[in-house]
Amino acid sequence: MTPALVLVAVGVRFGESTILDSVDLAIEKGEWVGLIGPNGAGKTTLLRAITGAVAFEGSVEIGGRNTSAVKRRQLARSVALVPQHAVLPPGMRVVDYVLLGRTPYLGEVTGPSRHDLNVVAGVLDALSLSEFMDREVTTLSGGELQRVVVARALAQESPILLLDEPTTALDIGKQQAVLELVDRLRRQRDLTVLSAMHDLTIAGQFPDRLVMLSGGEVVAEGRGRDVLDPSLIRAHFGADVQIFDDGFGGIVVVPVRSQEEINDSTP
Amino acid sequence: MTGDEIRPSHLPWWWFAGALSALGAAVLVAVLLGAVHLDASSVVASLIDRLPFIDLDSGLTDREEAILWDLRMPRIVLGGIVGATLAVAGGAYQGSFRNPLADPYLLGVAAGAGLGATIAIAYGPSIPSTPFGPLPLLAFLGGIGGVAATYAIGYSVRAGRTAVTLILAGVAVAAFLTAIQTYLQQRNTETLREVYGWILGRLSTVGWTEVWMVLPYVVVATVVMLAGARRLDVLSVGDDEAVTLGVDPTRVRLVIVLAATLGTAAVVAVSGLIGFVGIIVPHTIRIVFGTSYRIVLPLSVVLGATFLILADLLARTISAPAEIPIGVVTAFFGAPFFAVVLRSSRGLGS
Repeated sequence: MTPALVLVAVGVRFGESTILDSVDLAIEKGEWVGLIGPNGAGKTTLLRAITGAVAFEGSVEIGGRNTSAVKRRQLARSVALVPQHAVLPPGMRVVDYVLLGRTPYLGEVTGPSRHDLNVVAGVLDALSLSEFMDREVTTLSGGELQRVVVARALAQESPILLLDEPTTALDIGKQQAVLELVDRLRRQRDLTVLSAMHDLTIAGQFPDRLVMLSGGEVVAEGRGRDVLDPSLIRAHFGADVQIFDDGFGGIVVVPVRSQEEINDSTP
Repeated sequence: MTGDEIRPSHLPWWWFAGALSALGAAVLVAVLLGAVHLDASSVVASLIDRLPFIDLDSGLTDREEAILWDLRMPRIVLGGIVGATLAVAGGAYQGSFRNPLADPYLLGVAAGAGLGATIAIAYGPSIPSTPFGPLPLLAFLGGIGGVAATYAIGYSVRAGRTAVTLILAGVAVAAFLTAIQTYLQQRNTETLREVYGWILGRLSTVGWTEVWMVLPYVVVATVVMLAGARRLDVLSVGDDEAVTLGVDPTRVRLVIVLAATLGTAAVVAVSGLIGFVGIIVPHTIRIVFGTSYRIVLPLSVVLGATFLILADLLARTISAPAEIPIGVVTAFFGAPFFAVVLRSSRGLGS
């Protein structure tokens, strides 16, 4: 079967600097792949290249079709992005914000159809957002807001969902809630998920597979326990960590001070 | 929950009808007030008489009819057109640049259009008042030049760029273009007597010439801006996110800014530099009715017209028989209003 999303030798350059260099990646339908890597590794840029927000070399194929041959509106029906820091228009209500997700289906001037409104209603229900419908987006708390942004992406009804560090601003309870939601939605809706992730333990728990980017290149790829390796993390994050099994098939990554530093700082 | 319970923001017809009634009332008051007294019922009869298939005897003398139809009405209609265009263009610029302070006057568009129009009148053929002559064309080119220069300067600022940066760039561009325009005007006082007082704006007209001259441009520009309202709502989440929603932000911005500039240039060519209409009207609508451009833009057309007709009424009656330039009136209300918008928009990125 054709993978849902295929990247072939994708590169992004801004002038002299190379942000992404020849990235290859294939994601199966229904799979959740986590993108990890230090700051500046190119995680966000990779997601932006897939949505067409940034010019790139190489090719991105969705369902076997090259995205450069697809119109923007068509692409927005195939890929939705949950940005790291969503821009919140002052005064916009939640229902209008979520309805923006239907933009790729609306005509130039015509308003939303009955079907569009039904989709929005379904998404608001699924994310327990009905009671927030008339609130202004700028008045929401971090956890509510993240659900609203996910709702907008789901309203696009696209089979591929990209998440850019979806839990950055949330406390650990909200982090788990949002990620469980993503997991539930991808099972219910058969979504393919690619998420840039900051927290390595969370990256070791949720996705089926991890890809580690560093300096714009893929440096490791595979199951969580293979990619979350202390020496790889030492090499690319400059961090000392210990890895534990959580006993349920997931992985726990714990930062620890290196023995040398401790010895140096002890008089 | 079903789609029936989903109530997206929209413009209810009765809001629009209410705005139209306000416009009608403003027109009526403006028609009745002036140096020569006209009887109210006769004026209404004369207005109705002009409707198709209706024949009424207004009882006005020929002279009164002339005052009504050749002096007051053209000026009121022109004021309405100018106000509608400046207001909707202000809203459109604010959406395109995602900048609450944007306004045709503050972006350098009006100054550029004024310069273009001055050049056309000073050096062009002596019959300027046709819709497709050099006057509107040069005004449009000047307006485009003004907004392009403002945009280029404003966005060349990298560190600490905010909504205010673009406006500062606009102030510099407008000052420069107005300086050139004033210089040309001084050098050509003979040919430019007709545009004297332009910098402060004016609506004194003779007959319907100006109305017919700007109408085609204004209609096209307004239709394009109104059709783009939904796209402007999408742009409000930023360029990157607009792309993921299937909208090309560069194309939307280009089309809307060109339309807003076309409309602005056309009305500046006949009315001069009238400031702040594009700030006052759209922002008042946002506060009272909602922030969606599908609400802001259509209401700006109607209430912009209403606002400028009333401002012009004030300009010609407050110290009658003398007239104060209408730009003075709009600035008198607009500048304090701008200060309020500035305060509440502090920290907004561009």
